[in-house]
Amino acid sequence: MEFLKLEIVTPGGVIFDDDVRQVTLPGADGEFGVLPQHAALVSLLDSGVIEIEKKDGSVTAVAINSGYCKVDEEKTLCVVDGAVALNDGDLAKTLEEVQELLQKAQASSTAIATAVSKVERIAKA
Amino acid sequence: MANLKELKRKIGSVKNTQKTTKAMKLVSSAKLRRTEELAKRSRVYASKLTQLLNEIAAKMKHMRAEGLDNVYFRETEPKQVDIVFITADKGLCGGFNAQTIKRVNALIESYRKQDVKVRLRAIGRKGIDYYRFNGMELSDEIVGLSSAPTYQEAAEFIAEVTDAYLKGHSDRVIMVHNGYVNMITQEIREDQLLPVDTSKLDLDQVSLSDLEMEPEDDDTLLEALVKRYLEYSIYYALIDSLAAEHSARMQAMDAATNNAKEMVKNLTIKYNKARQEAITTELIEIISGMEALK
Repeated sequence: MEFLKLEIVTPGGVIFDDDVRQVTLPGADGEFGVLPQHAALVSLLDSGVIEIEKKDGSVTAVAINSGYCKVDEEKTLCVVDGAVALNDGDLAKTLEEVQELLQKAQASSTAIATAVSKVERIAKA
Repeated sequence: MANLKELKRKIGSVKNTQKTTKAMKLVSSAKLRRTEELAKRSRVYASKLTQLLNEIAAKMKHMRAEGLDNVYFRETEPKQVDIVFITADKGLCGGFNAQTIKRVNALIESYRKQDVKVRLRAIGRKGIDYYRFNGMELSDEIVGLSSAPTYQEAAEFIAEVTDAYLKGHSDRVIMVHNGYVNMITQEIREDQLLPVDTSKLDLDQVSLSDLEMEPEDDDTLLEALVKRYLEYSIYYALIDSLAAEHSARMQAMDAATNNAKEMVKNLTIKYNKARQEAITTELIEIISGMEALK
């Protein structure tokens, strides 16, 4: 199984740094997935949800407001403004944080609803 | 004995001062630790962002016929320079603020000699107070940001500065702040914010593969990235300055505590001497009184 390295960095520190199987990013021109050996790419990221398929096959999510990502063959780097990661703690609280984060980024209400439901779906899966 | 009483009062007052300075030192060292942690975490972000900016700028330079010809990078002979400088909101931190002000003054002087107009944008009460007292005009006076930096406010401020630059109200933006080196050293840092200082970027690296861009328009991407880069530069400078402020205050308060200790020591010796003197005088008086009675 091949992996790619994913790093998510915010002003508050590194929130994700590990090998993953696949990652789906909310690009400014639409959502796109990245697998290992992806061609080099730089993209603006919109507010939305980064979906991560981890090494063990489990899926997790990180909600972001905006940022950039740089993809090359073996590594994906996301530099984002603000992020809320899904964790084992209180789901309702996490969802609230996601909503707050996106509201601050002035995302449309549909975008917020989509992001929240996406995070919820992944959390419950 | 008036002198004795006076000395005793003095000793008490110095001791009290010592208590205050000691407490302030402790507070500063706790705050410094927190700020240092913040700075450390955001340093990663800063380096990644710079790296990204570097790659895109390098790509534009190599791929495009006209090279890197973007308003953010165009170096021109300046006619109007904006100086952004950061000082603390509070004093009692040794030469921390004075050093920054001194550097700003030197900059103003050197630009004046070249017939370049200078506009000052001040962050921090101490700098504002100084220039107000000296009757210099400040186009921005921001209080509260340097003691509690937030990304939001820093971004708002720099957006205004960038706007002025883009509209042609200024041709160069320079930022001066006193930065943190370690617990005992601070260093004045002077950075050129706009146009982006290309000497700091390594533009001649050969890009390994063609980088795809999304959105396709390079300028949009670069512009957004430069904006973020600027926001981050100022935010980082604020944190850096705050850390330096705390370390400077820690040092100043440490020195003050030591001085107070020294003073108490000297005063105590003086007090004891005076006391001894009083006793001696009294003894002489008694003895000579007795002698007279004989």
